[in-house]
This record gives sequence, structure tokens and C-alpha cells, in this order.
Amino acid sequence: MDADVPAFARGVRLKRQAGGAILLVPEGIVTLNPTAAAALALVDGTRTVGEIAATLGDGGFAAPDGEIARDVRDLFARLRARHLLR
Amino acid sequence: MSAPRPLSLLCELTYRCNLQCAYCYNPLDLDAYRDELDTAAWERVLGEAAALGVVQVHFSGGEPTLRKDLPQLVARASALGCYTNLITQGTFLDDRALAALVAAGLDHVQISIQAPEEALADEIAGTKVHARKLEAMRRVLASDLALTLNCVLHRANADLIGDVIAFAERCGVAKLELASVQFYGWAFRNRAALIPTREQVERGAAIVAAERQRLRDTLEIAYVLPDYFGTRPKPCMHGWGRAFMTVAPNGRVLPCPAAASIATLRFDNVRDRPLAEIWENGEAFAAYRGTAWMPEPCASCERRETDWGGCRCQAFALAGDAGATDPACELSPQHAVVVALRDGDPAAVPVPRRHKSLAGA
Repeated sequence: MDADVPAFARGVRLKRQAGGAILLVPEGIVTLNPTAAAALALVDGTRTVGEIAATLGDGGFAAPDGEIARDVRDLFARLRARHLLR
Repeated sequence: MSAPRPLSLLCELTYRCNLQCAYCYNPLDLDAYRDELDTAAWERVLGEAAALGVVQVHFSGGEPTLRKDLPQLVARASALGCYTNLITQGTFLDDRALAALVAAGLDHVQISIQAPEEALADEIAGTKVHARKLEAMRRVLASDLALTLNCVLHRANADLIGDVIAFAERCGVAKLELASVQFYGWAFRNRAALIPTREQVERGAAIVAAERQRLRDTLEIAYVLPDYFGTRPKPCMHGWGRAFMTVAPNGRVLPCPAAASIATLRFDNVRDRPLAEIWENGEAFAAYRGTAWMPEPCASCERRETDWGGCRCQAFALAGDAGATDPACELSPQHAVVVALRDGDPAAVPVPRRHKSLAGA
């Protein structure tokens, strides 16, 4: 999982706006918590899940690195199951 | 109560269409919509919508590609930072039309088919179009656009639900929407002929469940059971005037695409008032926003902010009062009306919708 390189599925777009980012998908909008928004902002089709988790661990979130990595893996697994990430 | 921010705008650019589907949900009185908003008016609507907070714009109809200014309007919405979705039956989506939409920044296309095989599909559409739809689908799949395939299910094609899924799989689409027929506009008058049987509904649900499992890595299947067969109503628009608005071809602003059927409401027009005023203070939006309008059993229901009282249009059509609990809910005092409609009429033949002309306003 950590070596996977996530990318947005076709028709899925991250939009940054006042009050945090949202995910725009064909039939609606997915609201994101701050950790999810930060993780998805790093999805660029080259970074791996492990790299994204490590970057967020250094990013000043008030949670231990292990917990952030687990949250990020969960997030990517869930979004992949919903066909929002490839 | 103060108005929340709208997130999504449905632009019904025209009600003109070259198909004759008996399940058309557009209004009955199409003459009232012939005087369509012009390009400048639609551009102003898009700007006002984005300023209000709208981040997603759906272009639909009728058949929206009949509007020559569609690429220009998509480009405008895109430039405003909005996600853009085209809902089309695809028959005019040739190479040139698609290239113009891609260049305009379109994000997603939804193409509908009437059935998974040509003869029945053309029979339901009332005209020979299935082959052209397939070409349009291939074109979109070869582009960078995301594609959802849509099929409206009713008595004449509900037995083919497994074939529709197989068709989607063969075509290589990633997303399929199986839409149970909804009884609004023209479809309402055909409901006795269109409503699937209970056997069709139950068999369909079982097939979808199995196919979702089999295809979980390749094909996402959205399927909503027809609410006449459910026990709780659909959460229409996820709340009236809460996140969603529709602008009809003639500029009337509607809380839901079918709302014009509610004869007891007066709808504002973008030709007369700014969109923000209509959204925040317009009579039609204020009427059923939030929960304060709810009668019992909704008012004290623990699902009042889940179901939002169901569908106002259905309450008006079936209970004669847009402020009633949706009769699709088993707790509604009028639920017996829905139960009686489940049987349909095996002898009824759906009346096709024949449009007068395709010519623009």
C-alpha cells in the first residue's frame, strides 16, 4: 500500500476554497476534514502513499506520525473503493 | 431561517429534444419555455451562482447540445472555477461538438441509453438513435473526459437490468447509473404504464447486488430503488433550498427540477431579480426550507434531517398539498395512494412525448 502512487480518477477534482478543500465528483461534492484535504493536496500522480504520509507527519498536525500514516492509508483505501482515486 | 449556501446549479438550457421518451420528466406545458434565456443571460446566471458559492454546474435539458452556445457556457462556468457536467442523450455529440466541449473545460459527461439493444432502445426513444449514442460514448471514452452511462428503468426494460450492466461492462465505462423511472412531468401521466412490477424491482435489486460485488474493481453501479416500493421517501434535493437550485430554460428558478409542477408556488425569474435574492428570500425557496414547515409525522421524526420530508412535488401530485409528508413514506397518512399505484395497469400503453419542433427560440 505504501508504495502505491495514488491519482485522481477521471472526473474527480480537488478544489481549494475558503474554509478548506472539497472534492468535486460527477454527482456531487465530498467534504474533507483538514487531514484529508492536506493528504489529497499532495496527490500528483508521482508521490507514493508512504511519501504523502511522511510529509504530513512533518507538517505540524497535532497527532503522532504513526496515527497520521494510518489515517492517510485509510483515506486512500476508502476513496479508491469509491472509485475516486486510481 | 437564514439561507445556506447553494453548491450545485442545474442549468436546463432548453426543453427541446429529438427523442420521444414516454418517461420524460420535463413539464407538460413546454410552450411556456420556448422563450429561452439568451447567452448573455445564462453567463450572468453562472457568474451570480459562482458568487453565491456554487461549485458544480450541470447542463441539462431537454437536450442541452441543441443550444449552439453550450461550449461558451461551459467555458464560462469552468473559468469561474466550477466543476462542469453535461447530461445528454448524446445524439449530437460528434467529433466537432465534443472537441469544443473539451476545449471549454468540461469535466464530465453523462450519456443515457434507453435499452442495452438497438431495436428496443430505438422503440423507447421513438426514433432511430441508439447507434449514434454508441458512437458518442466511444468518442467520450477516447477523450480525457469522465463518462457515466445512464439508463432509466421502467416496465419495458426493467427485465434487462443484467443486460444493461453487461452492456456497460462491454463498453468499458467506469460508472453506470441505473435510474428507476420517476413520476414527474410527462412521466406522471404515463405512470400506470411505466411502473415496474414488484417482481421486476426485487429481481433487479438482487442482480445489482451480485454484479456490484463481481465488478467492484472496474464498474461503479449507482442504483436507487423506485420510491413507490420503499418504506421511506427519497431525501429529495437533500433538503429544499439547502444546496441545490435549477434554472429552467425560461429563467424561472426552481428548488428542484420538477418543482414547476407545484401550482401553489410562485417562482421568481432571473430576468427580474438577482439570483442571490431569489435563493435567499424568494417565496418558493423559503416555503419548504429547513424543518419549520413540516407537519407531523415529519416534525417529530428522527429522520427529518435525513429524508427532509421526502419530495414536495410528489406530495403535491399525490396528496394535493406540497406541504404534506411525501406519500412515499409509510408513515404518511396518504401512503395508501402510493400502495395503490404500485400495481400499475398491465394493459396501459405509454404515450410517447412528441416535441413540436427542434428549432431554437
